[in-house]
Amino acid sequence: MAVCVAIIGKDNSPKYFCCLNPDEELGFQYKVLSSLDVVEEKLNTTNKGTNDLRELYLGMLYSLETHKIYGYVTNTKIKFIIVVDSTNMALRDNEIRSMFRKLHSEYADIVCNPFYIPGDAICSKSFDVNVKNIMTGTV
Amino acid sequence: MRSSVSYILSSSTSEPNMSHPDYEQYSHDHAALLVLIRHIGSQLKPKTFVKFYDRISKLTSVRITDSTGNVRTILVRYVKEHPVENNDWGDFQTHRRLLGLISLGKYDSQQELNEICRVHESLKVKYTSTLFDSRCILFGPTKEGGSSSDTSTSSPNSDSSGSPAEQTIEKFTTPSNFKTRGLFYDEAAPCSDLETQIVEFINSLFWVLESKRLERSREKLERVSLLLAPFEKKDFVGLDMESRNNKKKCTGRMTKHLGDLCLQAGLLAESLTYYGNAADTLKTVNDWLWLGAAYEGLCAASALVLYPEMQRSVPLQRNASLQEGSSPKKTVVVSSIDVGARKASIPNTLAPEDISKRYREAIIHYSKYQNAGIVETEASFKAARIAVEQNHSLQAASFLQNVVYINLTLSEQEKIQRFETLAELYTQIGFTRKAAFCQRLAATRYVSPQNPAPNWNRCYNLMLQSLPGHRLSLDPAEMREVEQGWPVLQIQLLQELVVAAKRMGHSALATRHMTFLLQTMWSHLTPTEQKELCIQLQALSSQCEGSPVPLVLDNGIVIPPANLTNIPLCHSYVLRNLQPHLQPRKIQAVKQDTGPFLFTPIHFGSLDRRSTGSQSKMGFLWVENEPCEVTLKLSNPLPFELKVSDMRLLTSGVVFESLPETVVLSPSGSPPSVITLHGTPRESEGQLQLQGYSTHTLGVKSNCRLRHMAGFPPHYEVEIVPSLPLLDVKTSLPQSSTFSSFHDYENVVTSASVSLHHGESAECTVTITNIGHVDVEMLEITMQTVLEPGLQEQMFTWSKENLLSQLPLKPGCAASLTLYLYAAGSFLVPGGTANEFSSGVFSSSISGPGSLPSRLNSPSSSFHRNVNSSFRSSNSGHSSMSATLQLPQLPINQQAAAVVEGQLQIRYSGGPGLQAAYCRCCSVFLTMETVPSLHVTNWDVLPAETNTQFYLVLDVANLTSQEMELQYTPSKTMLIEGHESCRVPVPVKRCPLSKLDTGENLASGDLDRICSEHIANLVDLRWHLLGTDTRGKASLKGITLTNDMLDEVRMSPLLWEVVINEDAVRPQEEVTCEAGDCLELKILVTNSLDKVLNHLSLSVQFYQDYENGTVNYRMETRLATTGTTKKIMEELEPQGRAQHECNVIFFTPGQYKIDIQCSSPDNATTVPCLPSNGHVWRFTPPVNVLVN
Repeated sequence: MAVCVAIIGKDNSPKYFCCLNPDEELGFQYKVLSSLDVVEEKLNTTNKGTNDLRELYLGMLYSLETHKIYGYVTNTKIKFIIVVDSTNMALRDNEIRSMFRKLHSEYADIVCNPFYIPGDAICSKSFDVNVKNIMTGTV
Repeated sequence: MRSSVSYILSSSTSEPNMSHPDYEQYSHDHAALLVLIRHIGSQLKPKTFVKFYDRISKLTSVRITDSTGNVRTILVRYVKEHPVENNDWGDFQTHRRLLGLISLGKYDSQQELNEICRVHESLKVKYTSTLFDSRCILFGPTKEGGSSSDTSTSSPNSDSSGSPAEQTIEKFTTPSNFKTRGLFYDEAAPCSDLETQIVEFINSLFWVLESKRLERSREKLERVSLLLAPFEKKDFVGLDMESRNNKKKCTGRMTKHLGDLCLQAGLLAESLTYYGNAADTLKTVNDWLWLGAAYEGLCAASALVLYPEMQRSVPLQRNASLQEGSSPKKTVVVSSIDVGARKASIPNTLAPEDISKRYREAIIHYSKYQNAGIVETEASFKAARIAVEQNHSLQAASFLQNVVYINLTLSEQEKIQRFETLAELYTQIGFTRKAAFCQRLAATRYVSPQNPAPNWNRCYNLMLQSLPGHRLSLDPAEMREVEQGWPVLQIQLLQELVVAAKRMGHSALATRHMTFLLQTMWSHLTPTEQKELCIQLQALSSQCEGSPVPLVLDNGIVIPPANLTNIPLCHSYVLRNLQPHLQPRKIQAVKQDTGPFLFTPIHFGSLDRRSTGSQSKMGFLWVENEPCEVTLKLSNPLPFELKVSDMRLLTSGVVFESLPETVVLSPSGSPPSVITLHGTPRESEGQLQLQGYSTHTLGVKSNCRLRHMAGFPPHYEVEIVPSLPLLDVKTSLPQSSTFSSFHDYENVVTSASVSLHHGESAECTVTITNIGHVDVEMLEITMQTVLEPGLQEQMFTWSKENLLSQLPLKPGCAASLTLYLYAAGSFLVPGGTANEFSSGVFSSSISGPGSLPSRLNSPSSSFHRNVNSSFRSSNSGHSSMSATLQLPQLPINQQAAAVVEGQLQIRYSGGPGLQAAYCRCCSVFLTMETVPSLHVTNWDVLPAETNTQFYLVLDVANLTSQEMELQYTPSKTMLIEGHESCRVPVPVKRCPLSKLDTGENLASGDLDRICSEHIANLVDLRWHLLGTDTRGKASLKGITLTNDMLDEVRMSPLLWEVVINEDAVRPQEEVTCEAGDCLELKILVTNSLDKVLNHLSLSVQFYQDYENGTVNYRMETRLATTGTTKKIMEELEPQGRAQHECNVIFFTPGQYKIDIQCSSPDNATTVPCLPSNGHVWRFTPPVNVLVN
């Protein structure tokens, strides 16, 4: 179960931010922001050599005492960040991957909406609900 | 990375552990000799100390030739502080031992010198367990003249005979218990041998170290005592040291120790071997702490081999202008060949990737001991620095991440330092966000409640440094361009920044940052936040008003101004043209070339000429020294009333004086308010750029520039022309009530209206006052009407000369212009023609008053007469006896009150504006209502009594309702009742032939025109309305004449001279004779034309006129003639005379008349002014003969 999900645009500004406990949002914002450094570093190092399709899933970006942060970057440089609780041992790499994939398809749905202007912050109720479901693993 | 068995192996005791971490360490420092440089005594200035410290600390590596002749590179590390506790770890890692001491002090007197020596000695005592050697650099008092005469006494322990300060020390001697070599220098002198002295000092340190190393290496490894880390001492109490395990421990630890010493002594290869052996040994006995140390030594030595140039970076002055984009990452890529070559030169060197691996292991081993926390922290930093050198950012990041987890009991200051060092290293690997995060953490630590000495200043500075990491720039303009980053966190940080600035006591900064926050983050704030922050800003600015100037901090950071463009929000910015009558115009109108196409609805896209012109350039002009306007539409986004004061225009280019304006904007939701800002350009000729406007609201002054605002061009531009005069125009006539639809009525400044009867004239005084500040030097007056030019000139006239003579018009002066108005109207009934009055009746009607002899009764002309079809002719019989005629109503209605509208345009200029060829236009709107006065409904021409005149008979109708007195000749007047008409005869001189004989080819129309003009000029009809005492003149302009009339109007080309009985006959005279008398009639005809007249026939005829329309030509019984009554003249030369004589005898008394005429046959003449067909000239009037 993820505690926080963030979608970050290609200019590294947040497009969507959601965490289970709204009181901790500021802390999570800082964590996610810091993780962007790692994302960028990973993109820099992997993109240099090959022009092939790179893996979208970046794996764990870094772990904190309480949380683990995972990253996923689409081909259009949209970044997905998922923060999970460190104590949650049930979540394995595969589950995280599938969460990202679901998140990606949700995002694709949003972008398909003709009323959504790419680059704007996402504010859609159904998207909210869907993401919450992904986070809690009820999907 | 941290071992899960953390803390298991270490007991939580109050053992002395190393409590002062050194975050600045590099792995290279493992090989360095630690030297403390201390500032002692109070005399030495800190600046001097820093200067010398910097100078000494440049000597980081010294090459020394050892006893075997090999050159060794000895590294030295200088520190300013060294806690004694750290010395305790000297056995664990020898580089932690303080080996040398250099103290710097200054003295002025012997007493001070003694004190300095004492402090130095006490320092020596403090570090006595590890200290190898020390130096004391002493700065003596500035040399005084004559002091060198003192006797020389060398200091007891100093053999520095070559010391440049030799003379200075003569006065003072170090105390006898001072056992240190003192180096005496003059503070101001270059101290050229200082470096040599220090090298010599390092040499001595090296030799001591080398001897110790040799001593240690000679010891039997089996016999050595156990080396202990400070916290381990207790653990080994009472243990069997002879056990195989412990023996191995002893050996391993000693081997590692030897490695340390070799490393310090510059023997890299040996140290690597020792470390390798030590690691092998220690691994077998599970001595984790020392194993970690051995690994770390191995890594340090390898790093020294692989990256010898890895250096402590020179501290860089960071400031806000340093762009974030400049990559902090080192681009030094150590080529693998290079590395391989170096590695090959020294065996046992670790591969680059192994260094990180080993360091990782070492850190894991350290983490097993709680007391080794600082060692672990330092190792993490050192490992991170190597990773940075290797360009392995992610590895570096993981090492740095580890630092945070190490639980240390540190002072707040050390915690802050830890974050600052982390931030620095994160910056180096390009993790700007992480660095910013650490900086912010450090900043909050400075002011945390746990901190006994909160330092808001440092906190603020760190916050400021973390701005770029949060993608925040201090310049709002830059923020607008790159909108990225995390608004939530940015707002948080800015709010903290405001608080820090406020607590720091710098309210100007607090105001500035709050303004910045509101300006840049406006769209990300909720309405409630917006409101709250605005209120906060108001509170802050009450302490220090915000102004749009850059703030410079003590450390040189410049905080650019922040301007509130959202409060209030500007919707439109429109430059206003001047009032039409104030607009400057080119004196010479530029011919507008619009091309062959006047209008096209097709837009040619890129070819469209409209788009090529810059949008910001205004199509109109403003005038120097005259107020101009810009209209703004502002709205207030806040839910409370907003007072915006001191609003001005921001301009560049021409000097501009802007007038401040204050507005109060109603709360959000209400429609935008329109505000007009005024200003005056104070310089002539140039472009004025309007950049925006300035406001003062919420206590903050802002310069809102259009180029920083969305939806506006960068600036607007308008041309300023030199100052022009300004006129005020007034007229003596009342203002008109309505304006017509004149297409350019906008120029109109005043109006005048007048009502005139046709033919009436009036005067209008136009007063022109110069109310500007410039002389009026040029004044042009034109009249604009829809009338044809000729008529217009007739109706409106003025004296141009009179007006020009009043120029130049000084400011405040007035000039007057008299405009003569004349109500020109057609006095002839439209459609009316020259009607010949019906003969008989008419002649009788006019015979009474005027006793006009009617030529119409002449017998020969009767066949010329048309039978008039007009109603006038047909009913003339009924009205013949009345003097007045009832006029038909139709013409009156047609002529009822016409309105003539005109504009008196005044173009004026003067002063510099005139030189620049600009002028102003204003106009007076004139309404002239013309009321018909009289009409000439019919006219005819009758011969007069004299040859030179004729009678113009007019039917004059009074169209007014008043009684009219008509003066038709200078001596004759007539009264006409309202709406009635009467007939008047006006004697007019005949049109002389000279007028007609102007050219060769006179068409008949021209003849008509000339005669018509002749009549119009001579006939002077003056009317006088008795009721209103208005007078006027009627003109017969445009009168049309028939051919018969023309004959009468025109002077006859033949001059007649009739002589009876030797007496010349005069008109209106009667010849009297007795019946039976013989009258001798002599006729002389003179050709007054320039042409020859051919085939003229002269005839004389006698007749009797009964004056009742009957004429009797049968005179055979009444008279007899002798001689012929007809004579043909073949040719009459110009100016030639012809004569004819005959006699007549009247048989019976009575009234007789003689008709004398001369006729020319058809086509007999070439005179152009004459009709080409046959023509008859008569002697008029006929001669009257009364026979008694």
